[in-house]
Amino acid sequence: MPPVDPTAPGSAADGAAALARVTASTPTIRPVPEPPIPRRPALRRATAAGPARRRGRRWRRAARAAGRHGVLVAVVLAMLFPMLWALNTSFKTPSDVYGASPLPIPPTLTNYRSTLDAFPAGTLLVNSFVMAGGVTLLHLAAGVLAGWSFVRYAHRGQRVVSALVLVALVVPPQSLIIPEFLMVSRLHWRDTFVGLIVPQLATCSLAVLLLRQHIAAIPQTLLGAATLDGATDGEVLRHVVLPLLRPALGAVAIVVFITTWNEYLWPSLVAPSPEHTTVQIGLQRYQNQEGPDYGPLLAGAMLATIPVALVYAMASRRITDAFLHSGLR
Amino acid sequence: MTSTEAGAQPALPGGRASRPAPRGHLPADPASAAPPAAPTPARASAARRAGAWRAAATPWLFQTPVLASLAVWVYGPLVFTGVLSLLDWDLLSPHPRFVGIENYRTLVEEPEFGNAVLRTGYYVLTLLPFATVVPMALAIMLWKRPGRASSLYRSLLFLPVMLAPVGYALSWRFVLDPLGGVVNETFGAVGLPQRDWLGDPTWALPAITVITAAKFVAMHMLLYGAALSGVDRRSLDAARVDGATEWEITRHLVVPQLGRTTALLAFLCAVFAGQWTFTNIVVLTEGGPDYTTDNVYYRLYEYAFTYFDVGTGAAAAMTIIAGLALVFVVANLPRRRRATG
Repeated sequence: MPPVDPTAPGSAADGAAALARVTASTPTIRPVPEPPIPRRPALRRATAAGPARRRGRRWRRAARAAGRHGVLVAVVLAMLFPMLWALNTSFKTPSDVYGASPLPIPPTLTNYRSTLDAFPAGTLLVNSFVMAGGVTLLHLAAGVLAGWSFVRYAHRGQRVVSALVLVALVVPPQSLIIPEFLMVSRLHWRDTFVGLIVPQLATCSLAVLLLRQHIAAIPQTLLGAATLDGATDGEVLRHVVLPLLRPALGAVAIVVFITTWNEYLWPSLVAPSPEHTTVQIGLQRYQNQEGPDYGPLLAGAMLATIPVALVYAMASRRITDAFLHSGLR
Repeated sequence: MTSTEAGAQPALPGGRASRPAPRGHLPADPASAAPPAAPTPARASAARRAGAWRAAATPWLFQTPVLASLAVWVYGPLVFTGVLSLLDWDLLSPHPRFVGIENYRTLVEEPEFGNAVLRTGYYVLTLLPFATVVPMALAIMLWKRPGRASSLYRSLLFLPVMLAPVGYALSWRFVLDPLGGVVNETFGAVGLPQRDWLGDPTWALPAITVITAAKFVAMHMLLYGAALSGVDRRSLDAARVDGATEWEITRHLVVPQLGRTTALLAFLCAVFAGQWTFTNIVVLTEGGPDYTTDNVYYRLYEYAFTYFDVGTGAAAAMTIIAGLALVFVVANLPRRRRATG
């Protein structure tokens, strides 16, 4: 029987709790370094009766490895081929886009030049960056404060609060866009960074739950020692908890930043004008205006993708770990 | 400031006071408690009460940002959506008209929303293998032979989560282009039928499914990897010594340990299939051809921001939320039954 979560009052929140529990508990499952298992050469030799059979086995093992790599390469290609093909095509001359030669020889930057002329890619990238950065900072701030409060001051009201946070985690953001849009319009926040960033606090639940998990993992004795030394709660938070929390903050920041960078629906509603929107929406608008003029369009797609892809290439392990710890999205 | 806090604040003193009660079975009120030993000086007690009040307020102070955010951007809009769903309003006129459940009736009577629900169901079903079996197989493959090659595959296979969704969708559109796209060229060369994949009522939904599937495979492979790191490799070696084949080991030793993860990921697929297909639908098909690639979120978006029929859009939103709540309850039934019986 699964452990009963005390924070789950209703059935809906129960599901949410299960979800959050499983996803939030993944971080604790770190791959444990196992002692290397000896290959037992003696055993191998004993079962392989003769050299012929040994050769047969080796051949079979090679075939199996080849099959394995074949399957994996096929899946990777199926997933990434369109993107690679688009990257390849973006370096072709416009007349060559459907041309016979598969490779862009010689490679040209014509498409990138016409993309940069047609839509303000630089501004849009900056907008995306500011939006993602702003949302990340807000989520981290809200998450640290609330998570700290959950861990430090456990009392009755907290059960209600954590239920509220859990339920908010599972309400699909797409279903609340109508009133959010009306509120932002009424506040005259359309086409502003405030309008892009602040309403995305709606999805801060994830950061709250993850950071709460990490703060709870800090040994109580450490906090108690600081308190005994006369530190106030605020000082404990600033000088003990925050430094210990840095890796977790990094991980949560990565996840929030990338999901926000890739966000489509909200910026498309709040930031309609071409100079104030994000790169994703710019790209979609560009597609609608120009029709499928693929050369520049694909160059634009590459411009929108390359920043994140570069960061990923440099820190892929850290990023996958971060997503693993958050479990969702 | 917000309704949540206003509701929570008065409940506090009671919550605090009831706490020490079980210890000595003393009444909570210090005035009536009148201990037989030396009575506490009034000033100290007042100071202590002020301190207690501050202690009670502190946690709420820390949680104000989150509570305010959720109240303003989640729970407020939730109620607001409920209200809007009872109105007939075009976003512009100053006087929305109250129409009761008329909008819900529209949803039921007109075929579009029913179709969108049906299509969302198709998405869930067709994405289910890509959310469970495929990533599980990949994760087990990679887990069985750890090493540099596996890490590389793992990084590459996770890329679809990272890549900008609009860019990814556009690159698929280029590949699937009916005139000269690579897929059609290749199919033509080997004698398979060429199609307008995204414009063909039969093939558009499978196409969207495949494009969205990449993201599910990528994300869920990672989560299966996490579940696998809890499996003891030494048991596999023991089975190998006993002469079990690799397939038997996978089938009878590894897969059974992934049961709970699989159930969870299937559930996540049901919840996220609609949300993750949304961007692909907007960029690639706009719900067409003939509403065949529609889903509930896209329909809601169309009602509200294309037809400016806010009431019907809000009613659709409420229906979606109710549907999800139902999914939660159903997903929890087996667990509950096991707990009681």
